[in-house]
Parts: sequence; C-alpha cells; structure tokens
Amino acid sequence: MIRLEGISKRFGPVEALRSVDLEVRRGEWLGLFGHNGSGKTTLIRILVGLSQPSAGRLLIEGREPDREGWRAFRRRLGFMPERISFYEHLTGEETLRYFARLRGAGGERVMQALEGVGLGGAARRRVGEYSKGMQQRLNLAQALIGGPEVLVVDEPIEGLDPEGTREFFRLLRSGEGRTVVLSSHRLSEACGQVDRACVLSRGEVRALGGVEELSRALRLPIRVHLYPAGSVNGALEAALRRLGAVSVLKGDGRLVAEVPQSEKIGFLTGLDAFRGEIRYLRVEEPSLEEVYFAAD
Amino acid sequence: MRQTDVVLGIARKEFGDRLRNRWIWTVSALLVAAALAVAFFGAAPVGVVGVQRAGAAMASMMNLTLYLVPLLALVMGCGAVIDEKRRGTLDLILVHPLSPGEYFLGTFLGFALALSAAVATGLALSGVALRAWAGVSVPEYLVLVVLALALGAAFLGLSFLLSILSRDRGRAVAVSVLVWICAVFVFDLALVGALILSKGDVPAGLFGALLLLNPTDAFRMLCFRWVGSAASPLGLSAEMPAAPSAALSAGALLLWGVLPLLLSYVLFARRAAEDRLV
Repeated sequence: MIRLEGISKRFGPVEALRSVDLEVRRGEWLGLFGHNGSGKTTLIRILVGLSQPSAGRLLIEGREPDREGWRAFRRRLGFMPERISFYEHLTGEETLRYFARLRGAGGERVMQALEGVGLGGAARRRVGEYSKGMQQRLNLAQALIGGPEVLVVDEPIEGLDPEGTREFFRLLRSGEGRTVVLSSHRLSEACGQVDRACVLSRGEVRALGGVEELSRALRLPIRVHLYPAGSVNGALEAALRRLGAVSVLKGDGRLVAEVPQSEKIGFLTGLDAFRGEIRYLRVEEPSLEEVYFAAD
Repeated sequence: MRQTDVVLGIARKEFGDRLRNRWIWTVSALLVAAALAVAFFGAAPVGVVGVQRAGAAMASMMNLTLYLVPLLALVMGCGAVIDEKRRGTLDLILVHPLSPGEYFLGTFLGFALALSAAVATGLALSGVALRAWAGVSVPEYLVLVVLALALGAAFLGLSFLLSILSRDRGRAVAVSVLVWICAVFVFDLALVGALILSKGDVPAGLFGALLLLNPTDAFRMLCFRWVGSAASPLGLSAEMPAAPSAALSAGALLLWGVLPLLLSYVLFARRAAEDRLV
C-alpha cells in the first residue's frame, strides 16, 4: 500500500533517516519504535507528505504521488500528531466541524465522532476547558472523522495513564480493516497492539517484523522460569544446562534458564523427566523491549 | 466546487477568530473616538480650527487612517502562520486534502475580511458623526473608506510575509512595529531630510517615484487626488507638480497589495514543501 524505498532525510549536517526501506501493508498495524531522536517522527512526516525525503522515494499504491496523488491519498488518511493545541476558544464540536470540512466529511458525522470517543457530553464546552486526556480524545476524533482507511498516529499514548492507554487502543480498534501506523517509545503498552514492529535507531531500521519473527532473527533466547518443589539445587541446574540452557540464574526460590529458540522444543520436552522436582514453570518469550535493545 | 468550500471554510474560521480578538475592536473604537474628537474639537491635528470644518475633518481622518490601519493590519496578520505552526494545527491542516495555496488563500481571505469589517465599522461610525457635525461629503468619505481598505490589504500582505519570515511571534510583532514606524514616520522624514540636504534639488519625477515606494504615501497621494477636501486644509492642491498621477498612485497601492502577498504565498508554498515553515 505504502512503500518507502531508500528514504534518507538530512537536516543540514544531521542525517535523521538513512536509507530506510519499509512497506506498510493494507490492513496491518505497524508500530514504529525507537528512542527519542531515532527518526520516528521524521519518518511519519514523510509518510503523510509533510516532509520531502532528501533521497529515495515513497510509493503509494505503486506510484510516486504527485499533487493530485497526495490529495487523493489524504482523503483516505487520518493523522493524529503528537503535539497539538487545538483552538481554545472553539468548542469541541466547532473544532471537529472545522476539520471535518477540511476533509470533505459531512457535518452529520461530527457528533457521532465525538460520541465515539466519549466527548458527546462535552461537545459544547470550549476546548480550553478540556483536560489533557480529553484533548487527546479530541485529537483522535479528528483523525477518525470521515472513517479514514489509513491512520497515522504519532506517539498517541504519550502522557496517558494505563487506563487512558487501554481506552485509547479500544477506540482505535473501532474501525475494522483499517491500516494503522503508530509510533511510540512506550514499548510495553504498544507492542501487544501491532502486527509488525519496525525498530528505528539513529535513523536506520534495525529490525522489522512480527515480535516473534524479530526475536528469532535476532536469536533472542526464551526464558524458562522454574520453581523447584524442594530447595534450589545444583543438580537441577546442571540438568538444565545439559538440556540446552545457555545460562541459568538462581534467586527468589527459582531458576531462570535462558534457552536458544532452536533448543526450545527439546528443552521443554526434556523437562518432563524432572516432573517430580518442578512445582511450577513459566515460559517467557522475548519481549519487544528485548528486541528493541538487541537491535539498537 | 469542493475545494472552494474548503477555502471558504478556512476563511470563515479565520474571520470568526479575528473578530473575537479585542485588539481589532480596540483600534476600531480608537478610530471612532478620534473621529468624535475631530468632530467636536475641530481639526487641531492638522492645524485648522474653526474653518473649513469638513475638509479639516477629512484631513484628520486621512491621517488617523494612515496611522491606525497599517498598525492594525501588521499586528493582526504577523501571527497568521506562526501561531498555527506553534499550536501544531498547521501540520494537521496541511495533511488534509488541500494544497498550501488553498490554505493560504482561505487564511488571507478570513484575515482580510475581518480587517475590513473592523476598519469599515470604525470608519462608518466615525462617518456618521462627521457627517452630522462637520458636514463631510458622503461620496468623498466613501472614497476614503475604500482607500483605507486597500491600504489595510497592502499591509496585511506585508504582515503575512513577516509571519512567514519570522521565527517566532515576538520577533514578528517587533519587526511589524518597526515596519510601521518606518512606513509612517521614518520614510517621510528621510525624504524631507534628503530634500533639505539637496537644497530642494531633487527632480520632481524622482521625488514622486520615491513616494510610491511607500504604500502609506501612495494612499496619501490618492487621498489628495480623490478626496479633495482632505488636501485643502493641508495647503496642498490636487495639482501638485511633484506628486505622481492618480493612476500611478493607484497602481502602486495595488502592487503593494499584490506583491507582498504573492511573495508570501510563494515562500509559504516552498517552505511547506520543504518542511521549513517557521
């Protein structure tokens, strides 16, 4: 659907993006992850046409968009910028009516969109009186108005508490089959939401794929947490090493074995022989954080 | 048709936003208050008391317009782009299916209409008072109003240019005030200084051409040509040999209205494409 080929972006001597190749597939949720200054926002600005790449090309539906191409794409696009301060003197309804008009969406969808994000009751209040969470909902409502096929959201959960974050993703999920590109540096909250993750570091794509796919590619081990029936003993630790664990850590009445993905099945099958000695076990797959730090 | 709706939508919002601004109504009220003072107390500002009341009133109104309308336009428009950029709404707007040109046009239209509404309201209320108490000519006064609107449009174009060139609102306001001081005071003082230094040995054509480099002087020249009663109390004849013709003055004012606006549009479109706005 959207393809970036060899995209680079320079700001004077600073190279914000270096030869980025990336494809956004129709209907997928793609997460852009990276620390501050990794190039996420620059990439998003290029994706929505706010910034032109210094090198490389961007293809939408297989062709480089000209002026009319951008116009057509933007009719299908919803954008939620990271930082925005809406017009304080306008009400929520007036704000949304304005942006709906810019998108060519009917005014009748305004109240529907406000109610969709839980701002129906505050529609006639001035935006200056809205809390941060309400402003964020209004930001989402303006992005969703007109039912865009593609939604690009830049750091959407920044500043939201866990409850607000969960609510935000619930609202974002309301549109079926929508293509979503979201950037975040809050990996733990966002990683469960995306189909694929793109880890950016110093303007380069360091890893791209599903979390499992990435952890395999980066050869990240799984962790098996074992709680022995008796006391932690050296015999069990030695047995775990024989079964393929590359390291075994002891502490808090348990053993944590790091096992390469390639040894996973054999290791878990081998544990059956120690059934009587193990009270409980838990398998921990590599997290996106680990992928992120391994790729960085 | 749909794009026209978008442009009008932006213009309507900007118009509404500007009308909420107390600053423009303060200046408008100042214009009315000054006009009332002129009507009641004669035309002391132009050194005429008790004689030629209509002409003196018109001359005073011309001078008031000359000072206040450019200031209002400059201060009003200098935040046009900066404010939207700082808020983050400019990026959001430009991600919608509209071109930078359409956004720019809608914004300028909204600002120009609001400025015109404020100036026209102030001058209309002043006109009623001046007609009743000083007996000013209605057709001449209407010409003054039209010229004031043209002057406002010219300075609004300049203010948009400053808004695009300035890095923040504070600088934009500071440069706007500087431009106003130069246009309203310094330029004429410099011309007079040049005349004194050259002992009056400046070709009339050159002097006339220099006057057209300043939109306020083009406005003044047109007032002297078309609002005759404003010229007489100042001791100026409509047939001044050094003054540029009405057509030249009108052309100059028109160019002042068009060129800065065109330049600011080109800069805006280029900077928007290069992601270098503000």
